[in-house]
Amino acid sequence: MSYYLTTILVYAGVDIIACLALNLQFGLSGIVNFSFIIFQAAGAYAAAVLSMPPSSQIGGEQIYVLGLQMPFPLPWIGAAIVGGLLALPVGLVVLRQLRSDYQAIAMLVLSVIATTVITNVRPFLNGAAGLSSIPAPLSDNLNPYSNEYAYLYVGITAVCLLLVLFIAHRIVNSPYGRTLRAMREHELAATALGKNPVSLKMTIFVVGGVIAGLSGGILVGFIGTWAPSVWLYPETIILFAAVIVGGRGNNFGAIVGALLVPVGFEEVTRFIPSKFGSVDLPVGFVPALEWVVIGLLIIGFLWFRPRGVLPEPKRTFQGGPAEETHWVQSGRGA
Amino acid sequence: MDLFVAAFGFGLVSMSVIAIAAVGFTMQFGITNMINLAYAEVMIMSAYAAYAFNHMGVSIWISMIGGALFGALFSFLLNRVLYAPFLHKGTSHIGMVIVSLAAALMIANILLPIVGYFSVSYTQSPGPTIRFGAFVLTTSQLLIIGLAVLLMLMIHSLLTFTRLGKAMRATAANPTLARNCGIPTRRVVDLVWLITGALCGIAGTVAAMNSESFAVASGATYLITIIAAAVLGGAGQPYGAMIGAIIIGEMTELSAAAISPQFKEVVAFAILVLVMIFRPQGLLARRGAMAAAG
Repeated sequence: MSYYLTTILVYAGVDIIACLALNLQFGLSGIVNFSFIIFQAAGAYAAAVLSMPPSSQIGGEQIYVLGLQMPFPLPWIGAAIVGGLLALPVGLVVLRQLRSDYQAIAMLVLSVIATTVITNVRPFLNGAAGLSSIPAPLSDNLNPYSNEYAYLYVGITAVCLLLVLFIAHRIVNSPYGRTLRAMREHELAATALGKNPVSLKMTIFVVGGVIAGLSGGILVGFIGTWAPSVWLYPETIILFAAVIVGGRGNNFGAIVGALLVPVGFEEVTRFIPSKFGSVDLPVGFVPALEWVVIGLLIIGFLWFRPRGVLPEPKRTFQGGPAEETHWVQSGRGA
Repeated sequence: MDLFVAAFGFGLVSMSVIAIAAVGFTMQFGITNMINLAYAEVMIMSAYAAYAFNHMGVSIWISMIGGALFGALFSFLLNRVLYAPFLHKGTSHIGMVIVSLAAALMIANILLPIVGYFSVSYTQSPGPTIRFGAFVLTTSQLLIIGLAVLLMLMIHSLLTFTRLGKAMRATAANPTLARNCGIPTRRVVDLVWLITGALCGIAGTVAAMNSESFAVASGATYLITIIAAAVLGGAGQPYGAMIGAIIIGEMTELSAAAISPQFKEVVAFAILVLVMIFRPQGLLARRGAMAAAG
């Protein structure tokens, strides 16, 4: 039972962190990052190869680059850095001059291609089989199979989550966040006011990449394996569903969405029986049904409640126009 | 050397398949301003519809008509039931892309339990092989090329010589103005979905014929190639998509001969990235009648 609980808590933490990152990009800034999952994947791979022993030492069953055996916090930091570094070239190609719907399909295509490349180039990250027996953080000093360790892992995840939430909260409520909202609502108007949309987008894209990379690092340290089959492009759509359901642009909406869609959903479908009465369901029926419901959730929410469960608060400003009127009146008087 | 001549021949077939698919995709975008990411899934569904006829013993060339009709009807309904209401509500471009991706996901996963995970193939006789030096093509491959040429000519005639084509171009250029001039834009859009849906259905069947076997999972691969061809030529422009199809079709087959067939889509993607960096508006950049709005 405690194994089940800690597993859910870590998954929830990772999903919330990922949704917060996606919310910064999609909800706050309007960047439709359909390749979000590859940033999480990059972080996971980075954390894996930074913490694993060199490929030659484990008998050549897995082939991968690096294998630096770094001590605990370094692989996670590396994961975050790699996520951010990957965001640079992607952002520079996609975000500079393309229309927003082009950006979306370009990133979708990128996600599919990344899977193809990693699957087919085996020497890089062990191809389709992926990496396994990735050492758990601190496993030199602690027993990673004990209950205490699992709770410790939940604790570390929670600390990371709070850190990410703090950063996201500061960004959303800062002048920079306000500029991002302005750009999302009307890019041309924001540009006319002297804001550079490309640098605005690039910054938040890299920040989102860093957080996504970190989430991948946390996840891979817990589950110990990572392969192309777990980061196919539909995984991004689940996170999109979460952010749309929760409320675009609202950090707490992203948290609620993450708890409802990736976490709540997985747990509910776990209890769907594989046969009804005496009728066996076809193989793969339940997973397929899950995807259909994810699609319905997105379409349903976009239709009936496009602002989500917890809508982004409306921000009003007071004081500005009054001062201006005063100035105009005094000008007329003079 | 012979390898490359043979690859060039396969490139001709491959470009024909891509051209049929990409022209339909780009016309949907150009005229209705809708990036329909469910396009590849509709292709797969139509291929299965044709498979159903083929399985009953009907020749694949006749089954293809069934595929085309299915594609036309399904695309029409997809627009009427899902896309048009969202567009009418004033959903942004980005919102529509998300809706279509959700639709793609749903179509694929409704299809999966029905047809299963395993790939299937048509019962077809490739016909006598025709050799021309190192050039080796089967009769059915030649027929596919012929079909593509015929369809491209038909699309060209439709857009250039008919009143409907004129109305389509007007709707693409400025829907409001077109409506004010008395063009029934709603009916034009319906017809566009029927026509492009038929192209989509034929493309799905032809792609499945050409790749020997197909499965639901083939959708993502199809989509990448189609997007690459459409964006390369300039999204929304049928002639651009034809040129894009020629380039992507040849490049992917030649690179498959030179490097490895596993990287076909990667080559298509590399071309796409280069286009996005150096010429994001596509090869045919004139913002003519078929240019995308926005």
